[in-house]
Amino acid sequence: MNEILRMEHISKQFGDFYANKDINFDVRKGEVHTLLGENGAGKSTLMNVLIGLYQPTEGSIYLHGEKVHIESPAQAVRLGIGMVHQHFMLVEAMTVMQNIILGDKRYKGLFINHDARRKEILELSWRYGLNVDLEAKITDISVGTQQRVEILKALYRGAELLILDEPTAVLTDIEVEGLYSVIEKLKSEGKSIIFISHKMREVLHVSDRVTILRAGKTIKTLEASETDGKELANLMIGRELVECEYRKAEATGEPVIELKHVSYNKASKHNGLNDVSLAVRCGEILGVAGVDGNGQSQLSQIVTGVTMAEAGEVVLKGCRVSHMTAADFIEKNVSHIPEDRNRMGLVGNMTVEENLLLKSTQNCAFCDANGWHLKKKAMRAYAETMRAKYDIRCQSMEQEIRSLSGGNQQKVILARELEASPDLLVAVHPTRGLDIGATRYVRDTMIEARDKGCAVLLISADFDEVLQMSDRIIVMFEGKVMGEYSGKNPPIQAISLAMAGK
Amino acid sequence: MQKTKLLNVLIPVLSILLAFVIGMLIILALGKNPAEAIGYLMKGAFGSKTNLANTVVRAMPLIFTGLSTCFAYRCGVFNLGGEGQFLAGSMAAITVTLLIGHEGWWVTIVAVLAGTLMGGIWGLLPGILKTWRGLNEMITTIMFNYVATLFMGYLYTTALREGSVPQTAPVPDTTKIGRIIPDLRITWGIVVAILLGVAIWYFLFYTSKGFQLRAVGFNPVASSYNGLSVKRYMLTAFIVSGAIAGLGGACDILGTQFRLISGYGGGYGFDGVALALIAQLHPLATMAVAYFFAVLRVGSTTMQVGTGVPTSVIDIIQALVIIFAVAGSSMMYLPKVRKFVMNLFEKKEAV
Amino acid sequence: MNWNLLSEVLISAVRMATPLLFVALAELYSERAGLVNIGLDGIMAFGSLVGFLVCFWTGNPFLGVLCGALGGVLVNMVYAFCTVTLAGQQIVYGMALNIFAPALASFIYRVVFGVSSTLAQATLMKTVSIPVLKDVPFLGKLLFDQTPMVYGVYLLVIVTAIYFNRTKSGLNYKAVGEYPKAAETMGINVVLHKYIACILCGFLAGMGGAYLTTCYVNTYSDGIVAGRGFIALAAVIFGRWSASGVLLACLLFGFFDAMQLRLQVGTDLIPYQLFQMIPYVMTLIALTIFGSKIAGPKSKGKPYYREER
Repeated sequence: MNEILRMEHISKQFGDFYANKDINFDVRKGEVHTLLGENGAGKSTLMNVLIGLYQPTEGSIYLHGEKVHIESPAQAVRLGIGMVHQHFMLVEAMTVMQNIILGDKRYKGLFINHDARRKEILELSWRYGLNVDLEAKITDISVGTQQRVEILKALYRGAELLILDEPTAVLTDIEVEGLYSVIEKLKSEGKSIIFISHKMREVLHVSDRVTILRAGKTIKTLEASETDGKELANLMIGRELVECEYRKAEATGEPVIELKHVSYNKASKHNGLNDVSLAVRCGEILGVAGVDGNGQSQLSQIVTGVTMAEAGEVVLKGCRVSHMTAADFIEKNVSHIPEDRNRMGLVGNMTVEENLLLKSTQNCAFCDANGWHLKKKAMRAYAETMRAKYDIRCQSMEQEIRSLSGGNQQKVILARELEASPDLLVAVHPTRGLDIGATRYVRDTMIEARDKGCAVLLISADFDEVLQMSDRIIVMFEGKVMGEYSGKNPPIQAISLAMAGK
Repeated sequence: MQKTKLLNVLIPVLSILLAFVIGMLIILALGKNPAEAIGYLMKGAFGSKTNLANTVVRAMPLIFTGLSTCFAYRCGVFNLGGEGQFLAGSMAAITVTLLIGHEGWWVTIVAVLAGTLMGGIWGLLPGILKTWRGLNEMITTIMFNYVATLFMGYLYTTALREGSVPQTAPVPDTTKIGRIIPDLRITWGIVVAILLGVAIWYFLFYTSKGFQLRAVGFNPVASSYNGLSVKRYMLTAFIVSGAIAGLGGACDILGTQFRLISGYGGGYGFDGVALALIAQLHPLATMAVAYFFAVLRVGSTTMQVGTGVPTSVIDIIQALVIIFAVAGSSMMYLPKVRKFVMNLFEKKEAV
Repeated sequence: MNWNLLSEVLISAVRMATPLLFVALAELYSERAGLVNIGLDGIMAFGSLVGFLVCFWTGNPFLGVLCGALGGVLVNMVYAFCTVTLAGQQIVYGMALNIFAPALASFIYRVVFGVSSTLAQATLMKTVSIPVLKDVPFLGKLLFDQTPMVYGVYLLVIVTAIYFNRTKSGLNYKAVGEYPKAAETMGINVVLHKYIACILCGFLAGMGGAYLTTCYVNTYSDGIVAGRGFIALAAVIFGRWSASGVLLACLLFGFFDAMQLRLQVGTDLIPYQLFQMIPYVMTLIALTIFGSKIAGPKSKGKPYYREER
């Protein structure tokens, strides 16, 4: 057995939450072993344990058959483990060369021997086909090149085992092809690679073996040649795809919001919109499917007034929106369940009650004298009603909201956003990180809102969720709308292809 | 939650106690009797009607700068410019008084308004730099402090200098802010300070705007997603906190000091920041801590005379209170410590 | 302005710039590791007292400077523990140092010399002139007839510039201030570097303080530092976080300081406070023009948690 790495029974706990629980994983020499799983399945945590950034709560790691304690990234580097992080660990103010030799302890001497180091790096880049300009500053090179710098950095330190954390997430198609050939080169030189991804297609293309993680646990390890995309997807999501439980809406009404050829930060494929047109109607759920980071964040910000479109028209309830802020959208009865509830939805240091009333303290039900006196009793009574109605589990209304569980936090947001009986509800990843019960609750509530005539725009990276809930589905890829599909008996194959940009 | 609230009170109280214990040890190490020192301290602060009044007089400017800090920090604005804004207020007040040339209560009112306005402007400047250019207010407000201090130097040595000594002419008698009781130095300024403190407390916790201001301070991103104009609130916080400090400066110069001289107003700004932090940014607690600081300051002079223990031991105690109080709160953010303390609480509850 | 006057002002400028340079370099080392320390005034005050006392007792100014520097390190360890280990707010603890350290200094002085003391005086460090070079007209007196401290600080500027731009260790050091997490993954010990930064900062700022009482005046008084720490802070920003920039900024600020001193005894035409304001105003203007582009090391001011979630 030419096994390089074995991780046994790894667990990592944050507070009460297990990010990893009893994970087993191994890598052989010269293979590409993929870790497959949804966001939050525990892939990154496991890798951070492996490179010594986190200490495992339980479990042990064996390298070349010997048990090791990896206490720091420095030690991981010495043991020949190199990681290319999803968010690159590059110092922007420095040059490519400076980034590569950073922290190098192999050579004695006070000063940097530029010529010798350059020669060494150039040799490496030749061998693996990683062309970079060593004197360029990180800020001046493309994302694809930055990734090559990261790989060079690891190789320069003598990495035998390379971890690539979602390496294709930020690359264009041509750059992805380049990466594949680099991976082939690395394999032929006997390096082992841990490839982290949630994209079926590339996983099958690039891996020798695949291990599926779900909710912090290992589900199964498979030979890539003996499986197919469907099996992987089922294992990853944990049940058979699409079991439609919700009744789809039959008749829909007038459009509440329309986007006509809207663009924003067009040049960016991951953080922009390119000529997007869509309409959300009364009494329907429009689902936006797509891999994370294809412009969904920007879409949600534009339809809630947090940012302004740079080109095109936004029509809200028949009025053209030109200079409107988030406050104006709220005034027009637009509700928003934002993608990051702790950063964008809630004020963590304030109480449950205060968060429930975040938008409505100017409402005359809760204040006198134009806002100059708050009716504390009315506020408390309202909050208690909400607690009962939305089943918010907390010790008291005075509790700081950050100490609640994710599901209960989301219920507070739901209560706040839905009690306004909105005309448009924009929900972004509404069930991310929630357990099954809370997920079910959130979905039921949204369907209920739809049945009352609310227009719902559901943006989710959870494909299953989009399929189950949407009456119409559009797919976003690199800032563009790839196609529109019916929510009734959706053509899954076609939608998956569209999500991959085909 | 109750636990967090309890900690909010517990940390400052423990810090004060701990700082005092260290202070007493220092006094003991000097071969002096700590009990005697404390006795003199208390006598100095509370021993007579005059002394009692002096502590109140000493507390007034601290209340203003403390409240100024409170207001700004509640909105997430880390204004360290209380010093400069306080001085801007005093300078505007005395300049207006001397330039008008008349005396009387209406001059007092004009001067106080001028001081408040000038303080607000001195707060607005770093506010504009922050919202417009994204400059860190902690650095810019410090720079503005020095500009204000040096401008004050220009006033008392050159522009408004009176006679050979570098100082300005005093505020005319009838323009001075009146005393509440003729024998004691306490002026109506303290009433203004206390009313202001209560008003700020009411504003922050019982009005819609105050509520929104606190939301912006805790989480600007979530606030903007929920339709609050973050920049507008921040700019307001800069102006209002500057105006509060400026009002303090005006009340101080017109009620207590009467003229600008070298070293005037030194330290009020930073003391204000310190005591507001100890008071966990609660306006009413801020006033209490300001009074406590004043007691220490006034009492320490008597202590120095009586026992020969230098007044600076009190400064050391004060600094230790800050270090312990703030360290205590930031320790609570470390996950391990938090867990440990929470466990402690749970055990207590179980028993 | 005639030649004599100019040379007099310039010599005075060099003298004024020296303590500033020590302290600005201290801040440079601190900020390059991501730690904004506004407690420089406090560290200087303590350094100046310790320097003075040792010099007073031993009569050896060099020993005074050394002990002043060590005193600075001691005080700055409070800041280091609170900001690095406890990950507290850097500005708050800087401020706490500014209250704590001068109080401690004043307290010790009064304990040693009594509450109402006569002014104690210590020996001043003598100038060491460099033969031959000192006889060069104009420049000779300006550059080669100074205390060893002056030569030392200029040497330090050169060493600092080489350290940050040419050495491996300097590269690692800068990475800690720019992107600590990246540095950590590259096997650089971030916490250790931050502590080293605090030691260096305390040492140099303490030395700058001790310079005041061993080379500049021969007495200690409360408030002797007079805001020099904040001018040094401004100099680091104005010098855009490089050793050479800091040197120029300090010389410039030193020149304005010398000018205002000259004006204080000279004419009434221009108020001298205007010149004292210049460092602050210029820094504000520079910041306004360049905006966040000259924000310096990227992670400065932010606490670093290793295990974050």
